[in-house]
Amino acid sequence: MNCAECRDNLVACAEGFLDREALIECRTHLEACIGCQAKYKAIAGLQQRLVARGQAAAEVSLVEPVMRRVLSKGKEPERETIMSKILRHRWGFGLGAAGFAAAVTLIFILSTPKIQAAAAEAMTRGAQAVAKLTTIHLRGHLRTPPSDNFSAINPNSDFVTVELWKQFGPELKWRVEKPGRVAVMDGQSTMLFIKPDEALKFPQPSASAFDTQWLHELANLNQALNDELSAIKTHGWPVTLTQEHGADGKPKSVITVEAKSGLLTGDYLKNKFFSTADTRRVYVFDDQTEMLDSVKIYVHADPGEKLIFELNQIDCNQPMDASVFQLQLPTDVKWAGQMQILPDNEKYAAMTSEQAARALLDACDREDWTEAAKFFDPLTAGEKQTLGGLQVISIGTHFTSAISLISGAQFVPYEIKLKNGEMKKWNLSLKRDGQTHRWFVDGGI
Amino acid sequence: MDLTDKECVERCRDGHPEDFGSLVDRYQKPLFSYLAARVGNFPQAEEAAQESFVRAFQSLNKLRKPESFYSWLLGIAARVAKEHFRSLEHRQRDCEAAETMMAGAADSGEEYPLEEAITALPETHRQVILLRYYERLSCQEVATRLGLPLGTVTKTLSRAYALLRQELAARESAEPTVNQT
Repeated sequence: MNCAECRDNLVACAEGFLDREALIECRTHLEACIGCQAKYKAIAGLQQRLVARGQAAAEVSLVEPVMRRVLSKGKEPERETIMSKILRHRWGFGLGAAGFAAAVTLIFILSTPKIQAAAAEAMTRGAQAVAKLTTIHLRGHLRTPPSDNFSAINPNSDFVTVELWKQFGPELKWRVEKPGRVAVMDGQSTMLFIKPDEALKFPQPSASAFDTQWLHELANLNQALNDELSAIKTHGWPVTLTQEHGADGKPKSVITVEAKSGLLTGDYLKNKFFSTADTRRVYVFDDQTEMLDSVKIYVHADPGEKLIFELNQIDCNQPMDASVFQLQLPTDVKWAGQMQILPDNEKYAAMTSEQAARALLDACDREDWTEAAKFFDPLTAGEKQTLGGLQVISIGTHFTSAISLISGAQFVPYEIKLKNGEMKKWNLSLKRDGQTHRWFVDGGI
Repeated sequence: MDLTDKECVERCRDGHPEDFGSLVDRYQKPLFSYLAARVGNFPQAEEAAQESFVRAFQSLNKLRKPESFYSWLLGIAARVAKEHFRSLEHRQRDCEAAETMMAGAADSGEEYPLEEAITALPETHRQVILLRYYERLSCQEVATRLGLPLGTVTKTLSRAYALLRQELAARESAEPTVNQT
């Protein structure tokens, strides 16, 4: 797919209307093309903004009160509103109104262009201080299940170390690692290793892959700070700027951004990824070196907020050993391959997500791994050991998230009893493969 | 298929005030969003939105281009919001905070250009955007509601995004950014 074809398809891609083949071609092109990525980001950004505005107004219902007023005799308001009271008694309000005004003032002060300009200035200095990056190494702590997706977050998980090494030239290379998985782009190909024995390889280089995008964005500090400023303006996120002294006694500029995902509280994917979480992001810049010192991200969880990510080591332009970009794999690694058209493919392509979930779990019950692999491949020895002989208790009706609009995922609730007696109640994430149109497991097991 | 804005306005003028309900239903959410961003408070935004609709109804005979009902309605809403701030200013005559708030509200134009930019869309494009995002319908549901093929809806959506981005870029180009180096 070339750029023109990709751009023709971007809206259909974002709306989930592309057929599987075109979707894969589009995504592959997007991975490799910065120009189309920018176009896609712009569309997705506008969509996100529209979704947020729509959600803010979701509960509004004015037809009845307005029509009651306009249809009443003489078209006069039937009842007093706060607005009409204010307009009528504009001279007579006392202390209560002053309290309200002070509260509103605070809201606007936090969002005034002056604060934005001051934050922009601090961020500009930080971006300029790292403008000529040759390498970057980021090390931080993230609350996430150790083997889960690189962008998954979970306020209830313990902290694990997440690292990124990136070489910008002469050839782009990168490595992202957390305890349970490693992704490496060695300049020629892109590989993912899920410990202990699963691997996946794309035969081409990529700017980011396997849901590591957020770390790459953070590593591109100049762009990251620009994006943050742009989001602040676009979404009207409150931002504050304070001057403090750090633990080292040095003066620091601290910029705090309150970011909203736009997802409703009840959305299944709310707070499961950075892009779907409401967060408070705290950027600390050293006023002497003008470099970004640290980043802390808090998720608004229930109850209160929780520190979810702390970036506390940023090494710029340090030499990197070539071995960093080489992936050592165990000899018995199982490579995930492309899904193949089956002789009876139509039968599987015609399934609903619920039927696919049922077929997979029944196959695990029978320990029919050939059948199970039609939905979940590769199945490692450990997974076979855990899932073999399970008993299906229930399978519910699928649901989607606002994000499904883009990802195409459907979530099927299930409850199973494992042969060790453990009960498991969760949601199977299923997506349709572009080539075979069969459902495959994307998570949740 | 729903009546167009022009048809609704004309029916109201012809003695069918109940058809104003279609216009309220169509624009209540974007109007609320617009006002919430201006007054910074949901209950007051709701009151201001009611007030705006009632004034619009009472002034319907003055509307010269019925097909431009939505942009005209936003103009009325802007005046209602301004009166709201003016009343606060009077109440806080000696309070510097009110002045700051006025300045902040007047300058913090980031929140509400979206609804203003939507006024610049052709009617079909605007309806698709409003149904898709403010009524939160799927593209298929939008197609059914407007009696259009699904492909036409997605193409209209695509064109509407491009027009909106153009309009927003023009409105937001003056905002500060970090220089690329």
